[in-house]
Amino acid sequence: MTYKVDNIAEIKTYLKELKKYSPYDFCEYSDSSIYRRINKVLEDHRLSLDELMDKTRSDSLFVEDIVQEITVNTTEFFRDPEIWRDLYTGYFPSLKNKKELNVWHAGCSSGQEVYSNNILLNELGLLEKSNIVATDLNSKMLKAAKKGEYNHRYNHKIIDNFNSVINGNAFADKVRFDKYFEFSGDNDIIRVKKILKSCVDFRRHDLVKGDISSFQKFDIIFCRNVLIYFNTNLQTRILKYFHDHLTNGGMLILGNHEGLTGFFKTKFIKNGPVFIKTNAFHFQY
Amino acid sequence: MNDNKRYKAVIIGGSAGSFSVVSKILSKLDPDFPVPVIICLHRLKHVRSGLVEGLNMKSKIKVVEPNDKERITGKRAYLAPSNYHLFIEYDNTIHLSTEETLNHSRPSIDYTFSSAAYTYRDKVLGIILTGANKDGASGLKDIHDKNGTTIIQDPDSCDINTMTKAALKLFEPDHVMTPEKIAEYLNQLAV
Repeated sequence: MTYKVDNIAEIKTYLKELKKYSPYDFCEYSDSSIYRRINKVLEDHRLSLDELMDKTRSDSLFVEDIVQEITVNTTEFFRDPEIWRDLYTGYFPSLKNKKELNVWHAGCSSGQEVYSNNILLNELGLLEKSNIVATDLNSKMLKAAKKGEYNHRYNHKIIDNFNSVINGNAFADKVRFDKYFEFSGDNDIIRVKKILKSCVDFRRHDLVKGDISSFQKFDIIFCRNVLIYFNTNLQTRILKYFHDHLTNGGMLILGNHEGLTGFFKTKFIKNGPVFIKTNAFHFQY
Repeated sequence: MNDNKRYKAVIIGGSAGSFSVVSKILSKLDPDFPVPVIICLHRLKHVRSGLVEGLNMKSKIKVVEPNDKERITGKRAYLAPSNYHLFIEYDNTIHLSTEETLNHSRPSIDYTFSSAAYTYRDKVLGIILTGANKDGASGLKDIHDKNGTTIIQDPDSCDINTMTKAALKLFEPDHVMTPEKIAEYLNQLAV
């Protein structure tokens, strides 16, 4: 028997109910991804959509579990190493002149990219003067991020990626992996060292609601492979928050195959992997 | 069968050994081939670049690795970027996703085929090529079930025929063809 729902309209009705009975609003997620994720939840829990609806109305702990399953939480250390290498050697060194550096990881999931970036900042001598905020919708993910412990089996590329980004220069002294990480439990757990963790302010925050009035302006915003799950209306709204909360010349770093949509094409200049905030209009990116 | 207006997309999936087959098909395609071609190939995660350049060397139509939300148009081939799943959204745009691997693969061919089946229904042509695992077989069956057209590369012409045999086990395709025949078939759609 299949629990799958073939009709996107029924799924949208469910999302409205979810919004009513919980703090979570997935109404502006892109159609095909929300369709697939909800259907996955139905199949995994062997529930019909009506049954899911009932449980959503009555069981708030269940809702927390469901939300974790609906959202995509995959992340990696130095995903797309060539981009991290560009940031390390090309874009971040110029930040050395700044008195302080404000960084926001929007949608940080379990934190691998936060720590990847902190390694770059530390190697460049920038970490001490950095204020780092990392946010996610999902409190379970934030908890995992704060803990900074990862299963080696699921992060097996970490050492290769670390070396290709940090030790890419054949003429420089090699940075040892154990400067930042320690292994335990027969090497199955990789633990991030304190130097990378203590400087991060992990906070729960929902990009959909967009209340970031308490946030300062940022020099760098990371939001990699998060906006791809949203429809273009929501994307545009979030890009506006980012634009408003970047310093002039600040950098927005998106995923490898994400571009800007609509109006905001004219408000950033694309330079390699980085979108740089500009207040002047321009017609190319 | 002069039904080129019928198809909104041609979807090609392949794994081990499929690069040269796709390259051959693209090299024989009519330069004005009007139907968008969407390609999902398994690749090594560390071999990020080179595949799209390699295909472009011989292809008669331009091959791109699309961004998320990119509109799908004709006379173009779209290659699923490394480490992303590629879905076809209901408004005929590309949707990329980093969600969990499926059949140990990202991109997963099943995902691309299935999303094409749901979006294009009977107006899609799905082709599965040589490969060493089962990814793609059930997605191609989704295309078959929605009355789309399906082609399976002749297992005898495959480097590794696990993938094509897995598909043949699930349903009876419209055609079983060698790569040469597949290219001919596509071109006569475009006549």
